[in-house]
Amino acid sequence: MSKRSPVEELDLAVSALLAVPERRPVPRPSPSVARLLALIRPLRDLPRPEFKARLKTDLKRRTSMNQAASSAASVKSSQFRRENFPNIAPYFLIDGAPKFIGFLVAAFNGIERIRVLRPDGSIMHAEVAIGNSVIELGDSNEEYPPRFMTTHLYVPDADATYANALAAGATPVYAPTDNHPSGDRWGEAKDPFGNTWYIATRKGWVPGPEGVLTVQPYLHLRDGHNMIPFIEAAFGAHITGLHESPDGKVLHATIEIYGATLEIDEAQGKVEPTQSYLHVYVPDTDALYAQAVAAGAKGIKPPYTAPYGDRAATIADPFGNTWFLATYLGPEARQ
Amino acid sequence: MVAARRPGRKRHSQPASDRLLVEAAQADPSKFEALYELHFELVYFFILGRVQDRATAEDLTSEVFHKALANLSAYESRGTPFAAWLFRIASNAIADHYKRAKRELRDDDTLDPPAQPSISSKEMDFVERHAFLFRLVEKLPEIQRRVLYGRFIEERSIKEIAQHLRKSEGAVKQLQFRALETLRQQMGGRHE
Repeated sequence: MSKRSPVEELDLAVSALLAVPERRPVPRPSPSVARLLALIRPLRDLPRPEFKARLKTDLKRRTSMNQAASSAASVKSSQFRRENFPNIAPYFLIDGAPKFIGFLVAAFNGIERIRVLRPDGSIMHAEVAIGNSVIELGDSNEEYPPRFMTTHLYVPDADATYANALAAGATPVYAPTDNHPSGDRWGEAKDPFGNTWYIATRKGWVPGPEGVLTVQPYLHLRDGHNMIPFIEAAFGAHITGLHESPDGKVLHATIEIYGATLEIDEAQGKVEPTQSYLHVYVPDTDALYAQAVAAGAKGIKPPYTAPYGDRAATIADPFGNTWFLATYLGPEARQ
Repeated sequence: MVAARRPGRKRHSQPASDRLLVEAAQADPSKFEALYELHFELVYFFILGRVQDRATAEDLTSEVFHKALANLSAYESRGTPFAAWLFRIASNAIADHYKRAKRELRDDDTLDPPAQPSISSKEMDFVERHAFLFRLVEKLPEIQRRVLYGRFIEERSIKEIAQHLRKSEGAVKQLQFRALETLRQQMGGRHE
């Protein structure tokens, strides 16, 4: 057999490494070719060339979208949200709001920071800070009847918080366990008002700059997979985590809207669909209201300037959730 | 856009240059691109070293940079390099990835997330070596680069690449040899 050139010898060995079927047998390569072959494994680990370029384009698009949104709102992105209001707040409308505040304080170390009463003494609006987040609430009425909502709490010690919740009157569903499919230590309880609380402590995670909000609304949606195209179109939302079943059902998704997040999954089996009230700050309420309605939301209350200094509006999504949109206009807008 | 760095430069020891780029991007998010160019391969290979799968590494790399962009205003240097901040986001993204996988496969114990959020010296060595190679490949003549990508990432045969590039099979084999020989020389003993 004639001696192969290094070029041919290399290709033969490469083909064998890549398991191209027609290239056999494979003689032991010479030392000089063997040194080249040591590069093959790390070369196969390289990212696809188009990936780096595509991600760069995505990031640029996102930057320009955010800048356009901020510009349209005529406010800096950091200013459209009220201070100490980092998340999409679940807005509980409760029959017995004062007792609910007491529950939040006792169960979750909540700190009541605002309570605004109606003339009849019922609560029009209240806010309770929990961890780094906030929950809003008021007494329900004919226009906004009570709804049973689900909320996900990330706390430093799920067992202690769970115990506090039970002591405050919650009913156990299951105690925190390490065997939850999420991988987190996770328990579940129902409060005396019919709301569900997922009480979790993250494992394999350290507090990072991307942050984890203590309170995240958790929506169980019928046909929840349809929420993703809707919420992208209506809110310009960004899906930061999506876990689907083979038949396309959303087993879990985390959705970001202007830096605030919520979670959804598909209501199926024993999980009943929920309909929630949600309060979210956006850069431009007027623009977002129009965008959401165009995407299929129902306009409930067109944009108006509220006396407390927010540009506000209300919409209902196709899944029965009510969204209170708001843009903080600054202290000078307060009447 | 920043100029391409010299291959092999240890970026994690240069927080001062990072700081200027971070401050520029915090003031104007469109300048985040420079940070992306500087750190892309470090993040990608850090993740790849832990998940061992290119598609997953690409997904998580994308997630990390989107999160970094969204949270850039919250970044404070405190004397640590920007890469350390990205690695921390990446560690959490990896942990979340394993949790999602575990959820999907219903409690498969083999899918427990990696315990350590910090990066070991062995991992850092893996990241540095692969990042170095990545930068060398980016500097190859385009035709050689296309042969390498076609052969080792897209796993095409010499014949397919030859047809695609309108070259003879012999010419493609020559390009493959020259590209690998160039990389070997520039890598020194780093790849062995």
